[in-house]
Amino acid sequence: MAQRAVWLVSHEPRTPVCGTVRFSRRYPTVEKRAKVFNGASYVPIPEDGPLLKALLFELGLLDNDKDFMESRDSCARINKTSVFGLRIGGDELWPVVAFLKNDMIYASVPLVEQALSPRPSLINISGISQAFELLFGVQDFLCSSQKNDDELNTKLGQLPDLLLQTCPFGTLLDANLQNSLDNINVASMTQPPKQPAWKTGTYKGKPHISISINEKVKSMQYDKQDIADLWQVIGAVTCKCDLEGIMPNVTISLSLPTNGSPLQDILAHPCVTSLDSAVLTSTSIEATDDSAFSGPYKFPFTPPSEAFNLCYYTSQVPVPPILGFYQMQEEEVQLKITVNLKLHESVKNNFEFCEAHIPFYNRGPITHVEYKVSFGQLEVLREKSLLIWTIGQKFPKSMAITLSGIITFGAKNPEKQPFDQICIGGTAYVKLHFKILDYTLTGCYADQHSVQVFGSGKPKITTHRKLTSSDYYIWNSKAPAPIAYGSLLL
Amino acid sequence: MGPLSREAWAQRLGAFRAGPSAFMAGPEGESLGRDLLSDLRSEKLSEQTKVSLLALSMEFPDQLWPDAAEAEAAATSLLDTLRLLAPRPSVLRRPLLLAATAALVAGGALGPTSGASGRLLPLLLDLAAGRDGDGVFGPAAEQRPLQATAWECLRELESCQPGLLGGCLGFLRGLLGLEGPVQPLSLLLALALRNGLVIRARAGAGLGGLLTDSHFPTGGGPRPWDWTLAEEGDGRLQPQAPSCPAAEEGGRGLAALETSPEEVRELRATVAQLLDVCYLLTPVAQAQLLWLLGWGLQGLRGQPPALFKPQLVRLLGTGQLALLHAILALKAAFGEALFTAQDEALLLHRLTAAAQHPALPAPTHLFYLHCLLNFPENWPLGPSGEEGPPLLLGVQLCQGLLPSLLQEPMTLLAHLHLLCLLCAEDGEEESKGRVQSLRCYLEKVLAGLRQRASLAAGPRASATLCFRASYLVASCLAGQPTVLTSLTQGLAQLYQCRPALAPHFVDLLNSVGPELREPLRVALRQEVVLGTGSDGALRWHLQMLAKVAGRDGQSTTLRFLQEAAAHCSDWALQQALLQVCRSLLRDGVAGGLADLLQMLASQLEDPDGQDRARLYYLLLAHLSETKLAMALGPSLAAPALASSLVAENQGFAAALTVQEAPAALRLSVGPRRLEGPSPVLQLLLEPLQPLYSLELRFRVEGQLYRPLEAVHVPCLHPGRPARPLLLPLQPRRPAPTRLCVSAVYTTPTGRTCHAHLPPLPVKFEDLFLPFPSPLEGTGSSFFEELWASCLPKGTESRVWCPLGPEGLEALVSRRLGPFVVVAQPPDSYCVAIHLPPASRLLLRLGAAQEDGVSVALLTDDWTVLPLVGDYLRGLSEAA
Repeated sequence: MAQRAVWLVSHEPRTPVCGTVRFSRRYPTVEKRAKVFNGASYVPIPEDGPLLKALLFELGLLDNDKDFMESRDSCARINKTSVFGLRIGGDELWPVVAFLKNDMIYASVPLVEQALSPRPSLINISGISQAFELLFGVQDFLCSSQKNDDELNTKLGQLPDLLLQTCPFGTLLDANLQNSLDNINVASMTQPPKQPAWKTGTYKGKPHISISINEKVKSMQYDKQDIADLWQVIGAVTCKCDLEGIMPNVTISLSLPTNGSPLQDILAHPCVTSLDSAVLTSTSIEATDDSAFSGPYKFPFTPPSEAFNLCYYTSQVPVPPILGFYQMQEEEVQLKITVNLKLHESVKNNFEFCEAHIPFYNRGPITHVEYKVSFGQLEVLREKSLLIWTIGQKFPKSMAITLSGIITFGAKNPEKQPFDQICIGGTAYVKLHFKILDYTLTGCYADQHSVQVFGSGKPKITTHRKLTSSDYYIWNSKAPAPIAYGSLLL
Repeated sequence: MGPLSREAWAQRLGAFRAGPSAFMAGPEGESLGRDLLSDLRSEKLSEQTKVSLLALSMEFPDQLWPDAAEAEAAATSLLDTLRLLAPRPSVLRRPLLLAATAALVAGGALGPTSGASGRLLPLLLDLAAGRDGDGVFGPAAEQRPLQATAWECLRELESCQPGLLGGCLGFLRGLLGLEGPVQPLSLLLALALRNGLVIRARAGAGLGGLLTDSHFPTGGGPRPWDWTLAEEGDGRLQPQAPSCPAAEEGGRGLAALETSPEEVRELRATVAQLLDVCYLLTPVAQAQLLWLLGWGLQGLRGQPPALFKPQLVRLLGTGQLALLHAILALKAAFGEALFTAQDEALLLHRLTAAAQHPALPAPTHLFYLHCLLNFPENWPLGPSGEEGPPLLLGVQLCQGLLPSLLQEPMTLLAHLHLLCLLCAEDGEEESKGRVQSLRCYLEKVLAGLRQRASLAAGPRASATLCFRASYLVASCLAGQPTVLTSLTQGLAQLYQCRPALAPHFVDLLNSVGPELREPLRVALRQEVVLGTGSDGALRWHLQMLAKVAGRDGQSTTLRFLQEAAAHCSDWALQQALLQVCRSLLRDGVAGGLADLLQMLASQLEDPDGQDRARLYYLLLAHLSETKLAMALGPSLAAPALASSLVAENQGFAAALTVQEAPAALRLSVGPRRLEGPSPVLQLLLEPLQPLYSLELRFRVEGQLYRPLEAVHVPCLHPGRPARPLLLPLQPRRPAPTRLCVSAVYTTPTGRTCHAHLPPLPVKFEDLFLPFPSPLEGTGSSFFEELWASCLPKGTESRVWCPLGPEGLEALVSRRLGPFVVVAQPPDSYCVAIHLPPASRLLLRLGAAQEDGVSVALLTDDWTVLPLVGDYLRGLSEAA
């Protein structure tokens, strides 16, 4: 369950080494056990220099030449998980859990309590999931509210102390590093001993509960006979409970209106004490019938001190909020495009913003545009070969809007204009970006009256809702488009 | 040396971290550990600097204090520093405890004889239990973090020395029932409990009072630490979360535990107590507890897995990686005893949903997918150890887990793997349509990947991804001819679009099994030879052809090459062309090739190319097909060299030249044989492998002897007795020497090897030859005549020859037997030795005295005197 070593490596493309070790921590007592458990197959933890090289090589992050290199590009080198073997000297260090996020590589080597040859299956190594939790924890800590390099450096500077708290000997005690930071700061407070390990300090003040439901909707629309359009809603419910007492009990219920779409694939926060079996079994991976459970979804829990994600869910609404089609055709040196968008009547017609991005890949800069829009304004980013159609706060009464135009491009300059592997030839898309406040597509809401708090006095309850788009694509119906298996009408 | 400044330490620590081993090998390395310990007590350094010193000692104790004695001293010093801290707030207390613990464990000093262990353990337990035993607690504000640290130190010590806290089990359990920080206590109790159970089970003993004896282990004065259980455990580490096979072993072990019904009850109560408070632990700690208890109880009598049931529903609702992983561990440990078929289906549903849940990150998705393909089913059907979708996971459930071109390469490959596994299933009638549609989808995905790879401006990654996907499909669906046919066609088209991918194709052909390799080879060969030899892609075509050309379609291949030859203007192209010729040669293509080679030998402009073509032509004309194949076949010499040109020629060079090899036989000198007119060495041969046409060559150091003839042996086999070899020596001077020996032989694979053997010593006595035996009864006068004839210009001397326990008579007969002319035991022996080429050595041995015998010697070659002296003095010693 323990980790032998942890590293943070920043990926710096177009520099000689392509990266720097920003943080490393070794656990010698765990290493001692690894030596015994691994026996003849033991490979020691390398020093930072060799590790950096091997890690960047294995993740394919070295800027080396384009030629084929067997040790790197061979077809038989297939990794299907974020667990790697690193070539160090003549030996292979395995398992190394590693992933790249925002130009930072997070890596850890979990202890395997047996010989490594033959390799045990990852599912049987408890340290693998612990390594992921540790790295995700570090990632959350570094990425939370971090805006620039100085802040990143400050946070990196805090890491040694934090790991001394949360992972003193390589066995992780709490993946929530922010929690531990708060813990250091409130160390002088005497904490009641029976308090959950995941809760820091106790709150003193007016009771207050804040609940936000953030839904994202994604979609793939093709406007084709034999390909089904896809869309999905992903919801996240965030809570912050400022309540007095050691372990206040709270129950939050999520409700749906009568025609609401059932919540599925619900993942609850570990502080939730019990779940209805109907909540547990409601899933998107099996066809559901009309009798599907439609709430209310009750979540009894003891809240941690900080804001947390009470649950995540997905949902399948009957229609996408905005239905569109996109036609793009090449006519000699010009492109002729038509975009139609229609807001569904059930959707709240009050956006914070709504715009359609129409990129043109693998072409030169836009030299000329002739267009007609029935509504909104069109912005032309010539060098980026991009059109932005700003629709604004409201769709017109008809709920349908159109854009048509003819575009001419200049000579291609691969340095300046974007390259894309998918949008080749006629394959192209329109991507919608929109946000609607105080609205959810599923209709899901947290009723103030349904929030139950046992223990302290009646808290003030505030609720927020919003819907945003995410990966909302409308593909050119005049050309092939990438499809998922679920889109094939069988 | 006084304490270093803050800057000096920062610099020193930085240099150490940049390369610990290099730093330790350098001039400052030796004193680092010492300076660090002493400067921790310096009042000039800030606490922050000291924290960084302690951080170093926590991370690198094995480098700073590598052996047990140093580690013991370091831990003692750290504990002293802790004791000397003033009772005001300090950030040093926690790191001091951690560093002392790390030093003891990493240095291997932890044990009953270690004084530091004897101090640290009670101190930790006092701190953990909230007793200010040693007055190191400092201010009350530090109490809680220090307590937590003490628990962690104890847990680490128990992990590294199982059984260490066995004596405290009852105490810990009592503490859990009262107040106390729940998490560290639960984890330590679970760990100590599991270790105690395993150790007792191995000893075939019962629990004794382990769980009920709740006194404070070190309370009431300086009682020594209880090492009984740790010593019973023999220092053997216990996996805290063993994987299946290892755990089964442990399970059998636990069944051997002798428990009374009362103990069973106590044990169950303890486990229930631990699980009850599980909710208060952080998710990662809950997972650790479940792994520990899950495998800890497996196979233990009277501990129903149902104890875990109340936890499962709560845990199943989360998407937390560590928790779901722990549930899977419980599933693997208890199977149907804990998870009914419905539970199993629910778990699978949750896992499948989590593997594609948009709220979770990609690494988590991929790990869950791995778990799905290795799911511990109640009733697995497939062979164990192989990845495969569980029976209950139908195509319907997997829909969201199928690959899409918009995914990242790793995700795409993982999902493609699942798709292949689903396509490989031979379903019943009803599912046939579904499998068919999956195969269609697979082809669509592969076509999309090929289209991306075919883009001239496309990045390397898209080509790599396409070939990895093709390899995956070929290895998973090797038994599906329709899939392979369309894959072959698609790849051939891809080559047509982008011949620059030739290196990827060669790699694919080298990696895949014959099911794809053969059809793909044929398709690619056709693709190449149907084109013209004149386009810009000639270098790729030639590289491709070197891999795929063979006996089939040789006429079109040769025609293509002939046409291409006209366009091979530079050296590289010519060499690539000849490389294809080489493959054809190796595959036994003869007709037509000779003409081509002859043409190349005369037409190529570059002399390199001409020579190579001529060489191939000569080889083709003179070597049989088998010998050609062997000469040009893949090299047996490992490792392969980096240069492809050299590597490709290695096989050829290896087969036709003599190679240096390690000695494949042992050679030694056997007992003396006196035959013929010159001294003879008897050589014993011991081959380590079959050797043919062995030739042994000898060289005499210092030209003391005439050059020696080489010795030939037709064949030698290990295990079959070999006749000893007789090597006649022809000394120029009577002196010992060494023979340098080398061997040339042929191996069973037809290679000629050359090896150096260890040199053979020729001793002085190896040169001794007897005089012709005198007639019966004339020995005495013969010897006197010799003596007299030597005397005029000879050298006379006297040497004391020490005698061993065996006595004079035995010594003479053993060592000098053949050379004795007159023997009158025990008073007198006369010995005459002929030293080739032309020297004489005469010895008179008198009566043996207490510890030796006086020897009078006469020789006509004064240069041998020191050799004779050495020989005689060492006579009784040598065996």
